[in-house]
Amino acid sequence: MGGLLTLADIALAHLIVRVRQTIVATLGVAVGVGFFLAVSGMMVGSENDFVRTLIDSAPHIIVRDEQRTGARQPALDAWPGGAVEVRGIKPEEEVRGLKDWPAMLADARALPGAIAAPSLSGAVTVRFAGRTEPVALNGIDPRLEGKLAKIEVSLVGGRLADLEARPDGIIVTRPLADRVGAKLGDTLLVASSAGVTQRMRILALVEPDAIAGFYAGDNTAYGLLRTAQVLFARPNVVNQLHVKLADPDAADATAARLEGRWGYKWESWQERSRDLLNLLVARKVVLYAVMSAILLVASFGIYTGVSSSVADKRRDIAILRAMGFTEQDVQSIFLIEGMVVGAIGAMAGFALGTALLEAIARAPLTVQGKPLVLPLDRSAQQYMIAGAACMGAALVAAWLPARRAALVDPVDILRGAA
Amino acid sequence: MTALLAVRQVSRTLVDPEPVSLLRDVSLVVERGEFVAIVGPSGCGKSSLLYLLGLLDRPTTGSVTIDGEATDDLSEAQRTHLRLARIGFVFQFHFLLPELTALGNVALPMRRAGVGRAQAEARAGELLAKLGIAGEGWKRPDRMSGGQRQRVAIARALANDPVLILGDEPTGNLDSVNSTRVVEEFRRLAHEEGRGVVCVTHDREVADAADRRIHMLDGRIERED
Repeated sequence: MGGLLTLADIALAHLIVRVRQTIVATLGVAVGVGFFLAVSGMMVGSENDFVRTLIDSAPHIIVRDEQRTGARQPALDAWPGGAVEVRGIKPEEEVRGLKDWPAMLADARALPGAIAAPSLSGAVTVRFAGRTEPVALNGIDPRLEGKLAKIEVSLVGGRLADLEARPDGIIVTRPLADRVGAKLGDTLLVASSAGVTQRMRILALVEPDAIAGFYAGDNTAYGLLRTAQVLFARPNVVNQLHVKLADPDAADATAARLEGRWGYKWESWQERSRDLLNLLVARKVVLYAVMSAILLVASFGIYTGVSSSVADKRRDIAILRAMGFTEQDVQSIFLIEGMVVGAIGAMAGFALGTALLEAIARAPLTVQGKPLVLPLDRSAQQYMIAGAACMGAALVAAWLPARRAALVDPVDILRGAA
Repeated sequence: MTALLAVRQVSRTLVDPEPVSLLRDVSLVVERGEFVAIVGPSGCGKSSLLYLLGLLDRPTTGSVTIDGEATDDLSEAQRTHLRLARIGFVFQFHFLLPELTALGNVALPMRRAGVGRAQAEARAGELLAKLGIAGEGWKRPDRMSGGQRQRVAIARALANDPVLILGDEPTGNLDSVNSTRVVEEFRRLAHEEGRGVVCVTHDREVADAADRRIHMLDGRIERED
């Protein structure tokens, strides 16, 4: 330890004597770290916000009345190993809907902190004032569905719970209402493929601009589960279960486990958003590649500073070796120089990055006249990544000239100086 | 009792870019309490021999034993450690680290040897006082005279209480007054403190003050008196 302190003293003395070069190199690192924090804060912040929206705007797991593979033929089970191929199969007409859904629902609700709700969805046509539009109607339990996904915040003129009081109520999107010329409180004629027709009153409008998450599309509507079962002539049938978990990240594993148990397709939010999540990974790779390049450029300052220090101090290196300092000691002195510049630069960069993020957060940005608050990630993790990357770059930048210093032959220098 | 320094049939040849023989079949023994001067014309191999004695270079053939320890098979780290503990160098140009004070320079070898800063600086102060520059400890080398700097360099060489002091033209850059002081100090180190002192020099005063003079020519020891 004492030896290291001695080496650190020499390194600091070198840096203090070459104060101008030290400041320039430190500023280079500080600017690199500062912009690293600002850019990664914006990029990671927007990504986190996006993922949060993905998680919050829809159930974490949706169970559908479909299976990933076709049903196994009984002949294959009757003659295991004997039946090679079954031909001429005439598929049986399946009754759609989740069988034994109350037990599945109970199973989902048994998960710690989970909320689960049944739903029946299907295609209907909506007619108003002579105009007809196809709509995907979701029959839901408003009390539970409100806790499952953030629909409530995007409603205008009413609430999800209003459906409970009005079984003939329907919630449609504002663009759909505009297209058919309907307003809040108007009554639509809703017809299903089962031939059932029902008059339904608009209790609220879904405002696309207010949606925090994914917009399911203009032609989406919500009604009471019981009403949907009547419309589709399928009493007591549900074709979807919606599940919200305490830990959204566990959705993939939980869905796989329950799918193995029940056979139906349990689709996690990660599976539904696979392409988007892959895109985010690619975006992150690009982000860190660009950020590494910024730090690499910043580390050139350290490389130049330590290199010129080594060139200036060749005679001192020879003297240190003659005094009894090892090659490793000499290398350590110049590594410490690089690391000190890196560490001070990182600290200054943290201050600069924090100031930049603050400035970005306060910037009066607007989109279509509405104030825009940029989601920023100012977590300690970003600072740790920036600090670690900076120190890594400093170490690499200082190592090359430090190694050169260690290999200086003291005899060559002393002979030349004599 | 073993000799402090024993050099047996040492040769040193550089092979790159073309073979050059720096030392040929040199043998030398230095006892404790002895002040030896190595003299000869420029390029005769004086400094090359000194670097071998100081374990900064390795002989092509032959052996160097210091304080009873054969150095030929030692690793570079072991040689460095031996140099730190038992050898002190004084060069023609003081070669003090310009960023450090006189105290800092003298304390440096002690601190490398593991002595704490306060203790090292206290002993450095004592050494500077012994050499008559007690009040100069907090000065940097560029604020000191040539004679003061060389005395700081001697103090640095004595920091770890070495048994062998090696001087490479230690008075080559000093006026006559300071030169005499340095010579007297070397004699005292040898005769009063029992250290071995070996000086490469062109300076007649140093050579005359030494107990023994080794005359070199073309990489060989020509004669001794």
